[in-house]
Amino acid sequence: MTTTDTPTTEPVDVLIVDDHLMFRAGVRASLDERVRVVGEAADVDAAVEAAHALRPAVVLLDVHLPGGLGGGGAEVARRCADLAPGTRFLALSVSDAAEDVVAVIRAGARGYVTKAITGPELSGAAQRVAAGDAVFSPRLAGFVLDAFGTGMGDVAIADDELDRLSAREQEVMRLIARGYTYREVASKLFISVKTVETHVSAVLRKLQLSSRHELTRWAAARRIL
Amino acid sequence: MTSPPGPPPAPSPAATSGAGSATVDRARPPLLRPEAGRRVGGVCAGVAAHVGIPVRTVRLAMILAGLSGVGIVLYVFWWITIPVGDPHVAAEESRPAELQRLARRLRSERRTFPVRDVLAGAILLAAAGVLVGERLGWHLDAGWALPVLVLLAGLALAWSQLDAAQRGRMLSQAGGRTPGSVLRLGGGLLLVLVGVLLLVGRTSSTADMARAWVAAVAVLAGAALVLAPWWLRLARALGDERAARAREAERADIAAHLHDSVLQTLALIRASADDADQVARLARAQERELREWLYTDRAVSGTSLAADVRELVGQVEDAHGVPVEVVVVGDCVPDDGTSALLRAAREALLNAVRHGAPPVSLYLEVSDRAVEVFVRDRGDGFDLDDVPHDRFGVRESIVGRVQRRGGRAVVESGSGWGTEVHLEMPRAPQAGSNGPAARAPEQHDANEETTA
Repeated sequence: MTTTDTPTTEPVDVLIVDDHLMFRAGVRASLDERVRVVGEAADVDAAVEAAHALRPAVVLLDVHLPGGLGGGGAEVARRCADLAPGTRFLALSVSDAAEDVVAVIRAGARGYVTKAITGPELSGAAQRVAAGDAVFSPRLAGFVLDAFGTGMGDVAIADDELDRLSAREQEVMRLIARGYTYREVASKLFISVKTVETHVSAVLRKLQLSSRHELTRWAAARRIL
Repeated sequence: MTSPPGPPPAPSPAATSGAGSATVDRARPPLLRPEAGRRVGGVCAGVAAHVGIPVRTVRLAMILAGLSGVGIVLYVFWWITIPVGDPHVAAEESRPAELQRLARRLRSERRTFPVRDVLAGAILLAAAGVLVGERLGWHLDAGWALPVLVLLAGLALAWSQLDAAQRGRMLSQAGGRTPGSVLRLGGGLLLVLVGVLLLVGRTSSTADMARAWVAAVAVLAGAALVLAPWWLRLARALGDERAARAREAERADIAAHLHDSVLQTLALIRASADDADQVARLARAQERELREWLYTDRAVSGTSLAADVRELVGQVEDAHGVPVEVVVVGDCVPDDGTSALLRAAREALLNAVRHGAPPVSLYLEVSDRAVEVFVRDRGDGFDLDDVPHDRFGVRESIVGRVQRRGGRAVVESGSGWGTEVHLEMPRAPQAGSNGPAARAPEQHDANEETTA
């Protein structure tokens, strides 16, 4: 994941939500000057409350959280849906399980990174989410390809099709899964970084709105739909 | 007309969903009535999922059978006896505990209020009130029909808790004694009582002894009929609880195992606290192991290429201490072609961690057509033509190995960009073309492994 060199205007306000004190402290220490930590929360209810009180630009959201009704990070994102678009969510998880990650994304998170991410990378990701872009790790791109299919028959013909990726979107996802940064994807496909971001945002939208069979099965396993 | 209601067994096409957990054969899903996509009681949908044939076929057969009357009886019987649930989800949940992830799955945070049930109950009670009112004064010439209707409604209300037993378990209330089920039972009892009394005392309001006796017996019979599902449900809940307890014990075993492995690693880390590399390596290995235990459902060994790739990457990580990002899309059962591909991928990965620079990533994609592997690093790159001919590494153990199996290998490299090795192996048509002749190069590969 690249850290975009967008000229730093003002630090991004961030709320850290994680049930482990150690981890929160670690994240707080690793973030650089591009972000400002305005608060922390340790469970679902506290997170919802803090998000409404502090109105941060970005909430760094752990997928597995105690409290609430057991919905974890997805529940926080859903209960804070009224704060959009001022507050955006970036899922931060130690779990690599597709169902967990997809649940949070479908609840409204704008991206997903693993907890192994470095401080500068996380700061960059937070900044990008605050700017309205989607943050896809290789892992998330892999989930998307898995869920939407990679075969020839899985390519969308029309742009407004929600259940399939377009050929270009599939290509972009495949490159991200292979470890390419947005910039490398752009130069490989001879398109601009902005276009790559547009494609990624479109994929995120499909991921959130699609009723595709595999996605609904993941969701049904947790009785969310 | 009387077509056999039980649809003929057929190989399950439902399991061949394109991506994801595709080609690995799965046991057929249990017989459950799904809530999604049901038309009446979900019987046809459940049977279709269980047997693995299209719902439409089952529905058609059921309707044809229904015309003769047999189908209706069968349908109602199945409606009552088959529990509610999503067959596909249940099939996934029924994996052996030691292959299942340990972390709790996220739950839906939606609490459902039984609006439909309460509404139906209220309407039925109102109807009962009207009937009682009619007996006391006003005349509504309904005769037999209304009392019978009330009676049937009461029975339906009470029996409907068989459905709710499953939902009650999901609300994790021991024994499933939710207020809803109590309301159901009480309401049903009341309705049946009213219905029976109205029926029995219909002809003469001043009932003689015989009539009263008949009424009492009828009421008792009605009550027994109402209570039957309650007992059925208790028995079933008991069985479920026993199964849950057995699983719990299994889980405790797993937890103990986990503690052992983590504790061991921690002790090792403490022992080698001065050696930063060693500590990082141990921590990384343990992290990988834990993650696998906690968050993924494990595959039975030898059935999953994805699992093999992850294991291979784990070995390389452990041996060289360089983290590798693995992304896997799709899965298949390993065969000769994929194992050659894996060995080539291993060589490419070793080159990447030895000569390249992190981050190193490996991407595996299994499609219907081919299996592809991309290994990428961010080193300075190299030119394949510059590699001396006596160097075996890239040319022989990566490119040659894949090409001998009918695959393709491309190395792309550039300074400041790194190196990407792209390996592709067409998927063999499942017919047994792998005779002894095809196995010969396998031997060759094995020898090479020792000399390389």
